[in-house]
Amino acid sequence: MGPYPCGSAATGWEGGRSEAPCAAPEIDGLLAGAGYRVRSSDLCHVAQRLERLESAMVGSSGNHVDFAHPASDAVHYNPSDLAAWVDSMLSELAPADPGPARHAPAPDAWEDQIYSQPQRAVAARMEEEEDSGIRLVHLLMSSADAIQRGDVALAGSLIDEMRLLLTRVNTGFGIGKVAGYFVDALTRRLFSASSAAAASGSPAEYEILYHHFYEASPYLKFAHFTANQAILEAFEGHDRVHVIDFSLMHGLQWPALIQALALRPGGPPALRLTGIGPPSPDGRDSLREIGLRLAELARSVRVRFAFRGVAANRLDDVRPWMLQVAPGEAVAVNSVMQLHRLLSDPDSPGPAPIDSVLAWIRGLRPKIITVVEQEADHNKPGFLDRFTEALFYYSTVFDSLEAGRASCSGAQQQQSTAVAEVYLQREIRDIVCCEGPDRAERHEPLMRWRARMIRAGLRPVHLGSNAFKQARMLLTLFSGEGYCVEEVDGCLTLGWHSRPLIAASAWRADDFDEDARPIPDNFIFNSISNTNESNSSINNNAAMLRRRNSNNNNSRSSDSSSQQESIHGM
Amino acid sequence: METQCDDVPLEHDKGKGFSINDNADLLAEILSRLDGRSLGVAACVCRLWSGVCRRDTVWEALCTRHVSGGAAAARAVVAALGGYRRLYRLCMGPVLERLPPARRDEAAHLSLSLSLSLSLFSIDCYERLGGRQRSSLLFLRNTVDPLVRRSMARKVIYRR
Repeated sequence: MGPYPCGSAATGWEGGRSEAPCAAPEIDGLLAGAGYRVRSSDLCHVAQRLERLESAMVGSSGNHVDFAHPASDAVHYNPSDLAAWVDSMLSELAPADPGPARHAPAPDAWEDQIYSQPQRAVAARMEEEEDSGIRLVHLLMSSADAIQRGDVALAGSLIDEMRLLLTRVNTGFGIGKVAGYFVDALTRRLFSASSAAAASGSPAEYEILYHHFYEASPYLKFAHFTANQAILEAFEGHDRVHVIDFSLMHGLQWPALIQALALRPGGPPALRLTGIGPPSPDGRDSLREIGLRLAELARSVRVRFAFRGVAANRLDDVRPWMLQVAPGEAVAVNSVMQLHRLLSDPDSPGPAPIDSVLAWIRGLRPKIITVVEQEADHNKPGFLDRFTEALFYYSTVFDSLEAGRASCSGAQQQQSTAVAEVYLQREIRDIVCCEGPDRAERHEPLMRWRARMIRAGLRPVHLGSNAFKQARMLLTLFSGEGYCVEEVDGCLTLGWHSRPLIAASAWRADDFDEDARPIPDNFIFNSISNTNESNSSINNNAAMLRRRNSNNNNSRSSDSSSQQESIHGM
Repeated sequence: METQCDDVPLEHDKGKGFSINDNADLLAEILSRLDGRSLGVAACVCRLWSGVCRRDTVWEALCTRHVSGGAAAARAVVAALGGYRRLYRLCMGPVLERLPPARRDEAAHLSLSLSLSLSLFSIDCYERLGGRQRSSLLFLRNTVDPLVRRSMARKVIYRR
């Protein structure tokens, strides 16, 4: 008989493998996973005989001619029955050893099958996973299409099929994990009665998620450092500066700016920070606490600092008079992933809230406006388009998080990565489940933001090579070789494997009194004459009229309780 | 009979020589020319050397090597944030480690490393003020492995 046929070997062993878990309890589980059936009681015996077999093989390696000719009456033994197989091998190689006169299959065949079967099993499994992954993506698209057409029944059945597929795919990483989140979001969209906005959680929770996302990935650090560099360069030569932050969170962006201002040649300016954030529900004034901490840091590095908190649920509830911009100070407006919440559906009539907000920002005559936004088009009206975009965008983001997790050592960091994924899950749910005014995550690509800012009367400011070099060096600190920084028309984007994920840009109003100055290229600037605008740019009369007539229930300037006026005389 | 003299050995003491351990300031001056790892090794020599290596001036010289200007003002700020030794341990050391070895002495890179390290350091100081567990700099402890391989399957699916 010829060499042991590969085909039947494969089926035989796969059969053995799938049977093993429910076989008789004495079969060893670990070896069964590799495709071998060995009784646990026999393990010791088999091990000894394998050792003897090895020494026999090594000893008789010169006698290859013995292996080349299998006996004509060789009986085939399934090598997954390890005990019998090793006995038969020993009997052939070391005939002095008493054993049944059985012959092994031809050496080429068994060598090939014994030593590569586990590897082939792994390869087969990988292929199966890849197939499942592609199938999952296909199913996701189909269900999104069904939802767009209104075919709820089909969508429901597709979702069930996907859930079944997810149980067979590794959901710890890769497409399995992302698909899990999207299937969850689709389920919510189809089957949960109330709007998903109700389930979005409290602002305090959001801050915690944000903090972990900050720790686990470089996107927010890139945003903060790039914006700080632009603000620092814009504040050169000014003695009194005012920064307006559209979402204070934990205030992690500002220690670096305070330190950089403290170290700037010529001494630090007097810094005012106005932080906008959601009101805290339980009476704690979280904005003021952050302000106190920042003030203490500023005091220790001897920077004159004053903080003011403005509590508002939405940015379009904020009015310029709440920010109390004083005449003669240089203003910077900083928005990290906030402006997209003010957009509306592209095909809905009327002006979006963003237009009025950009108008009053421009009215403040800021020296610089730093805008950081996600680089994706999640504001498309059609559900399928939006869904597809979101699927590819978040797959890339999760991929980058996964690479970071693979290299991080501490348990705390692993936990940060897990919580960062919850942060992203919130965004996914918002994009998939919410429609109309409920949807807040309306990401738009950089090109469209540029057009919108220019329409609002703002001019772009090039971010400069310092910001670029700093971003590149920041990335070297993060593991995972996939991150890349690119410069696009004076804006910087950070991406994963050539897919940009977050874009930072800087702007200023275009009807400035001072002449356009050349873009400085190094950290030390020549002193620039500071043209003081004498009139306050805020239209105070209109603001007072609005205050009298309208009912500002949603937004309180937390003037009475949260103001931290800690101005330190030098 | 020999007379003890702190600074200059007497003629007939030439055989005894001058011990570096007699003058801590001189020792500090010499150690400030070492790199970070060697300083760490030097700190293990003896108690005196360990004490000298704790001086912030030694680490300041290490961090601000090749960086021009503003040393005195920077000293006050860095001292308020936690000191140069801590700056090097937490931020500057890991940042420099990740630079390619050929670039580690270039002035431009060192200057940029220092400013980036100071930014990260200020965030660390801010977190310490808050009393909560410091976590923003944990990513610096990761080993950067440029050879992480990822499965081809994922790449296939993610390519549009």
